[in-house]
Amino acid sequence: MIAALNGAFDDISKAMRLHRVWIALAHEDIGDQHRRTTLGPLWMLVNYFAFVGTFAFVFVTKDASNPSYIAYVAIGMLVWFYLTETITMSVSLFQREASFIQGTTLPLFVYVMRLTMQCIIRAGYSLAGCVLILLLSGYGINTNWLLSSVGLLLLILATPAFVVVFAFLGAFFPDSEFIVGNLMRVGMFFTPVFWVYSGQEGVQEYAYHWNPFTYFLEGVREPITAGIFPGHSLAVTGYFCLGLWAIALLLLGLYRKRIVFLI
Amino acid sequence: MTSITLNNVSLVYRLFEKLTLSAPGRRRSALGGNIAKSGTKQVVQALDGVSFELKAGDRLGLVGPNGAGKTTLLKVLYGIYQPSGGTISITGKVDALFNIHIGFRPEATGRRNIVLRGLISGWTAAEIEEKMEEIIDFSELGDFIDLPFKAYSQGMAARLAFAAATTLEPEILLMDEWIGAGDASFQEKAKRRMDELAEKAGIIVLASHDDALIRRVCTKKLTLRAGRVESLA
Repeated sequence: MIAALNGAFDDISKAMRLHRVWIALAHEDIGDQHRRTTLGPLWMLVNYFAFVGTFAFVFVTKDASNPSYIAYVAIGMLVWFYLTETITMSVSLFQREASFIQGTTLPLFVYVMRLTMQCIIRAGYSLAGCVLILLLSGYGINTNWLLSSVGLLLLILATPAFVVVFAFLGAFFPDSEFIVGNLMRVGMFFTPVFWVYSGQEGVQEYAYHWNPFTYFLEGVREPITAGIFPGHSLAVTGYFCLGLWAIALLLLGLYRKRIVFLI
Repeated sequence: MTSITLNNVSLVYRLFEKLTLSAPGRRRSALGGNIAKSGTKQVVQALDGVSFELKAGDRLGLVGPNGAGKTTLLKVLYGIYQPSGGTISITGKVDALFNIHIGFRPEATGRRNIVLRGLISGWTAAEIEEKMEEIIDFSELGDFIDLPFKAYSQGMAARLAFAAATTLEPEILLMDEWIGAGDASFQEKAKRRMDELAEKAGIIVLASHDDALIRRVCTKKLTLRAGRVESLA
């Protein structure tokens, strides 16, 4: 166990020393995806506006009396898109990186950070859109935004662990790419991304309280939309991150040298 | 002093079987080698008791039929595969050319690709900057260097990959097959570069099916069969 953890930390530390590699590759990835388009990476901002606009348009009539609903959806979409993209792309990570893994001695965590960086860059465009929506909705910048950024920070800290866990899952069980993809699509409806929980019973109660993604969302959203310190959400998210990182370190330590034989 | 010493090196890994209609006796791993049973698990013996020693200036040609373990041995030497038995002792900075396209992005220019390839190989920004013109000169790409990599012919891609891998003068260079990709003038130029590397007390290990290439480039020949050393001459 100790040897496995040492191996994982060694891999991570080597990857962090090669930060210029994964930052450069992540930028190239983003550039390649939008190279021939007129708007370039701004398409990510357009996509975000389109989704938030659609949900706000469909559901705002019911909640027209609640001016915070658009902000609620805007933050919910920002966090959900980030989570769903990170997780679904992680499952096929080692397959996508097969030629690198089979042809170079780069630490495995380099690929984890390459994807993490990609997801953060993409989320940066959505974040710009989200800030604009919040400002237009009358949420001026204040100290609550600082509290919200704590939730965002936890989300970013959890990202490499999410990537490691789901990348190993995808390497060991290739079917999980489709299972996880479908679960994340359905998961949006079981997570308070666009619906508001106000004490309902039944499925919504379970979906709200027993869904770890709820706490990632609320940790970012509650300070701005409800003006409260999301102590409970941050605590749950923090414990979840620790657990996820523990699993990620074990997987990395025990199986990183076997990945090359699996892909 | 640059050197490579392998003592009774073996590589055994568990076979993760995928659904297949092939008869069990006809299943073969992508890595080559022999499939055997270990308890209830199927394992592949990709290398078995491989021993040899190379010293500064040696140029070793790896030959053998498909699945003999040539590429696997190169990847063990590079550190991609961890051997399951035996010992490996390597002194010297190792670089490898297994695949022309590794580290090269089709949409990026040749110049940008040199930067990326350098970063992946662990070069510093200053080293990349310093060697940039030398790589471009050696590759003879001229104005093509500022065009996307995808516009390059196979030979141009090979020249750029070879130039990038050898300009920083690795002490040990591992190459798999592809060097035969370029035209005759490139191959002659590549041979001269390899001569220079070897003369600077380097070691070159080249895997190929091309006996003429091995004779032209290498000073030693190791024949592998089913993961075992058949001969070393």
